[in-house]
Amino acid sequence: MSNPNFGDIIETNFIYSDDQRAVRKYGDSVVQVSGQPATYHAGDVVHMPYQAGETSTIEAIGLAWSAFANGIDPAE
Amino acid sequence: MTKRGSSFGTFKTNDTSTDFGLKPVRTEFGGSSPETLYTISRESCWSRWRRGYELATASLYHNSFDYPFTYKIPLPTGTPGASGNQPAIPGVFRGFPTKNKELGVHWAGVRVAGSLRFDNVLDSSNVRASITSVSEDNEYWYVQLAGTWSTSNPLPAPLYIPIAGTDGIKPTNGEVIEDRIITPEGVPITRETINPNTQTRYGYVQAVLADVNPSTGLLTLRKRGSVEATPDQVLVTPATRPPNIGRYFMTGTRYYCTCQDFTRRQYAYVSSLGKRKGNYFPRTRCATLQPGRYEVMKIAGKVANQAMTNAVTNRRLEVIAPSSKYEIPPTISATSSTKLGATRDNPGVFSDFGGVYIRSGADPSLPGAKSEGLPEYESYSAKNNVITSLTDRWTPTLDEFRYCKHIYAMKYEEGVFPPEPSDLPVGIRDITAWEQRLVDQTEKDQEGAAANINRYGLAYMDIPPFNCQSPMMVSMMQKLFNIPSTFVLLQNFIMYDKTGKAYTPSQGGTPVT
Repeated sequence: MSNPNFGDIIETNFIYSDDQRAVRKYGDSVVQVSGQPATYHAGDVVHMPYQAGETSTIEAIGLAWSAFANGIDPAE
Repeated sequence: MTKRGSSFGTFKTNDTSTDFGLKPVRTEFGGSSPETLYTISRESCWSRWRRGYELATASLYHNSFDYPFTYKIPLPTGTPGASGNQPAIPGVFRGFPTKNKELGVHWAGVRVAGSLRFDNVLDSSNVRASITSVSEDNEYWYVQLAGTWSTSNPLPAPLYIPIAGTDGIKPTNGEVIEDRIITPEGVPITRETINPNTQTRYGYVQAVLADVNPSTGLLTLRKRGSVEATPDQVLVTPATRPPNIGRYFMTGTRYYCTCQDFTRRQYAYVSSLGKRKGNYFPRTRCATLQPGRYEVMKIAGKVANQAMTNAVTNRRLEVIAPSSKYEIPPTISATSSTKLGATRDNPGVFSDFGGVYIRSGADPSLPGAKSEGLPEYESYSAKNNVITSLTDRWTPTLDEFRYCKHIYAMKYEEGVFPPEPSDLPVGIRDITAWEQRLVDQTEKDQEGAAANINRYGLAYMDIPPFNCQSPMMVSMMQKLFNIPSTFVLLQNFIMYDKTGKAYTPSQGGTPVT
């Protein structure tokens, strides 16, 4: 993936082969799975390049902690 | 449920009948007891490491219970709405079918790597916080961030939050960080990324953020447990070199689990579904009761400890601490109260196993380091029979919080082969046979647990995001997201179904069938 979009996964170990998909079972019955079974997995690396003017995740977490320390609740 | 008949934790004179009965580490006292040699066979990190591998391979075969999500971080009241890309935490809930869990599943959580980026950390002149220099000693790297930092212009939140009259709080301490961002707003490098100038792989370093100095912009990274991705695409630990100057940090994969082993809590939602035998109310013997704090969840002031609610009903965390003399740090809960004689248990919901083993001293592998000595259990400290401090343990780090088998399983799936713990079970005659039986037992347990799930159905149990404010899950959410529990709102979860389609449960969205 040379030019990933915002939120794309750029590193994952969960690209199943056809053989792996074929043997995946739910209990004892074979189920049909189309596409990749999930969007995120343990160990994935996400691409989130926030730009100037946007509120980044690290900034939002900082706002949350600062608000919390001052007794301010989240806007619902 | 703790077994009867012994007054001193799990110390027993004979464990021949429990060689295969792997149970959470719940010993209250340290390695100074001669009996620990006999109980180590089941209170062994090696067993968790080995069993985690079995769980990881089992999840490749069976469908694992994965619930991917994106959590939209709510902004504080009065803050203008965010424009453009919204602040969000991507991650996944992973359910591990568990035979002896009344509702059938232990839930673990993952916040994927790259969620927090230091190219978004700016000083007052909007200079990005890249790595400008690194010094080191035996235990730590000291990383200087770019920017102008002072007492009046300290590192921004969440690295440091000033609180009047206190030293402030540093919520990011304990985060795993990696120097994987080469250019600001650029794509993080992976193990494979090749430097076009040198035609060799970049490589990177992963370490735990031990501390920050807000007035100088200096980060302290722990060498112990650090990982290096080498130009050969191999992960080695500990890292042989410091983080690269000129790059930006981002957070690594963050894990948390709700199992008894990891939380050191025995818990139950009172239910007769799934688990047909056994006790429903956790309890603690009087002998092991210790001062401490516990949490309850409330809706409109009333206790609501059920496993899950609907997607639009939010609960609030209330922390009960022993006495007004011991102020609860502001990092825990906005709503808190004190009660004389409070213990670490919440009767009928969970019982606490006690403290956590904290490694002491320098890394034993370093020249001149002393041996570790007796383990230290940090739950509270006392002087002259008066409690002087209650220790909060909500800081996950790489190797000080011992992993449970579920997190080991996810580490294997990540492609990281975690270092083999050295406490290989001893005192067993045939270790090969023992290991094979452990494998067989794990497989059998997995089949039984999966059958139970199929029989009773997920609909009867706790499912993310509906259970995210249950007593055991809410503290996991706070630790996993690293935000205050009041900012964990059910309506902000966007989930993904098996085809990758997004749906929002609070708006009535459902996965495809």
